Amino acid sequence: MLLLAPVDVLNDLLLKLGLSADAIKHFVWPLIQIGLVVTLVALWVAYATYLERKISAFMQARLGPMRVGPWGLLQPIADGLKLLTKEDFIPENADRWIFFFAPYIAVASAFIVFSVIPFGPDWAVIADVNIGLLLVLAVSSVGVLALILAGWSSNSKYALLGGLRSSAQMVSYEVAMGLSLIGALMFARNLSLSGIVAAQGADSIWYVLYQPTGFLLFLISGIAENNRAPFDLPEAESELVAGFHTEYSGMRWSLFFMAEYAAMVVVAAVATTVYLGGWYFPFVYRLETGGHHNLYVLVSTLVFLVKASLILYLYFWLRWTLPRFRYDQLMDIGWKWLIPSALINIVLSGFAIFLLQALDGYRNIRTIESVQNGLNLTATGKGIAIAIGVVGLFATAALLARINWRSRDFHLKMQRRNIRLVNVPKGKPAVQPGS
Amino acid sequence: MPLVKTPKPTFAQKLKRFFMIDLIKGLGLTLKYNLGALTDKDAVAGKGIYTEQYPKVRPDVAPRFHGAPRLNMDPETHDTLCIACNLCAIACPEDCIDVIPMDVEIIVAGKPRRKKVLDEFIFDTSRCMFCALCQEACPTSCLELTQDFELATYSRAGFVWNREMLEQGRETVKYTS
Repeated sequence: MLLLAPVDVLNDLLLKLGLSADAIKHFVWPLIQIGLVVTLVALWVAYATYLERKISAFMQARLGPMRVGPWGLLQPIADGLKLLTKEDFIPENADRWIFFFAPYIAVASAFIVFSVIPFGPDWAVIADVNIGLLLVLAVSSVGVLALILAGWSSNSKYALLGGLRSSAQMVSYEVAMGLSLIGALMFARNLSLSGIVAAQGADSIWYVLYQPTGFLLFLISGIAENNRAPFDLPEAESELVAGFHTEYSGMRWSLFFMAEYAAMVVVAAVATTVYLGGWYFPFVYRLETGGHHNLYVLVSTLVFLVKASLILYLYFWLRWTLPRFRYDQLMDIGWKWLIPSALINIVLSGFAIFLLQALDGYRNIRTIESVQNGLNLTATGKGIAIAIGVVGLFATAALLARINWRSRDFHLKMQRRNIRLVNVPKGKPAVQPGS
Repeated sequence: MPLVKTPKPTFAQKLKRFFMIDLIKGLGLTLKYNLGALTDKDAVAGKGIYTEQYPKVRPDVAPRFHGAPRLNMDPETHDTLCIACNLCAIACPEDCIDVIPMDVEIIVAGKPRRKKVLDEFIFDTSRCMFCALCQEACPTSCLELTQDFELATYSRAGFVWNREMLEQGRETVKYTS
């Protein structure tokens, strides 16, 4: 039973050791939680690299790592040992201090976010900050700084180009990422991540149904934010060697690698929390009512990890299916598609909530149950919200396709020609022969 | 005015583009490969895994593949089958075989006779082109090109095989785990 009741047993043990209840609550438990989460996330990140290699291999009819341990399961450990023992090389003309600290900024900004992610109910969340989502966005955007600093301090043309690209890309996708979450927040009426999960639980629905547009936008901008294929321009192997970390080697390079995968896990975790109902799953709640509280927390955490891993699989899947975007296409998608559709999504969500409130009580139609814990809707209200969400997705896509159809293919030569052709009568060549 | 005339997309093509049918098809293809690799159903139809686990699992080479040479021995007496007739050396277009015979005294029907037997057999695998003409020429099926393909060594001298190597074969590391 020790496995199923670790909290109470440890609490009693610490109390017997003479620690005050306050110290246990505010000092010992957070430390244990932090240790657990850091271990868990580090393992998850390490095995994400293994899974990435395996899945990419399977998609190409290969086997992937097979030699270290059964099915190559110890490969991440072997990789880690190799990178630890490698020489930590610093280029002669590099800006030493910035070169030194850039990887730490990258890793820190990726790992700090995990302090507010609710992995499960009760003791499975370190800090339930009431502006959790804001903190996630703010801290994860510090990661851009690391890439720019790394690219700048390396004193290498490839690294600098990679850093420039990543700054442009991340700045333009940050906006869409932040805007895409607002629709879900309108339904949750809460910025705390645990609060968003609780709102979805109280409403017994996943917000991906209310907000399909928001979910897609968040995923796309999240992938772009993490510099993953098909948006991996900052580290495009075929153009920039390795982008911003060209000059890095050994442990510093692996810190960047860890930061990339940790940031992926962060985006997957936030997407799970906000759109896929977090750790809620049908029928798991019966464990709580049945009196197995700690088992309930463990199973809920497992549910959360599985949901986030599915989103990670989507990451791998997209990476090994789609080719890389051109730079102008990347900017095109960011500014002409994602940001306008995020704005439209906010307006539509507002409209949906307005409609629900206006319909509530009209001719005995009940749409809103309560606003105590997020926006709780009745079955009718849910139907209306889901319908508006799905119709809104296609309507937004159609509207933007209509607006953007002329500029879909960027063709500089053709555009110059068009500009020159403004006052030239039809049928005449743009440039007179012999002129 | 486009520089290259492109046909205008039809309504069906526009719909296809709007719903990203091609993207979904591509994702479906990679998913099919992934699931096929997990279940390893049919490697021929392009769904299984093609990778060979080479040092662990040795591949089956083609039946007509010619590899390392070997001098066969009599399975009962363990004497060599070679009669030092030199036909293989004559047949070899690359001139990579040296048969070195020696004379031994034997008693046949109470009278001393001299017999030519094999003393040393030199086979230079670095010059061999594995045409197997020597195998064709051998009257006693002694010289044979086997299907063993691991012929790499650390020096040029290692390519020249003597009689002992030809009879015993090269030692190869066997990976089992």
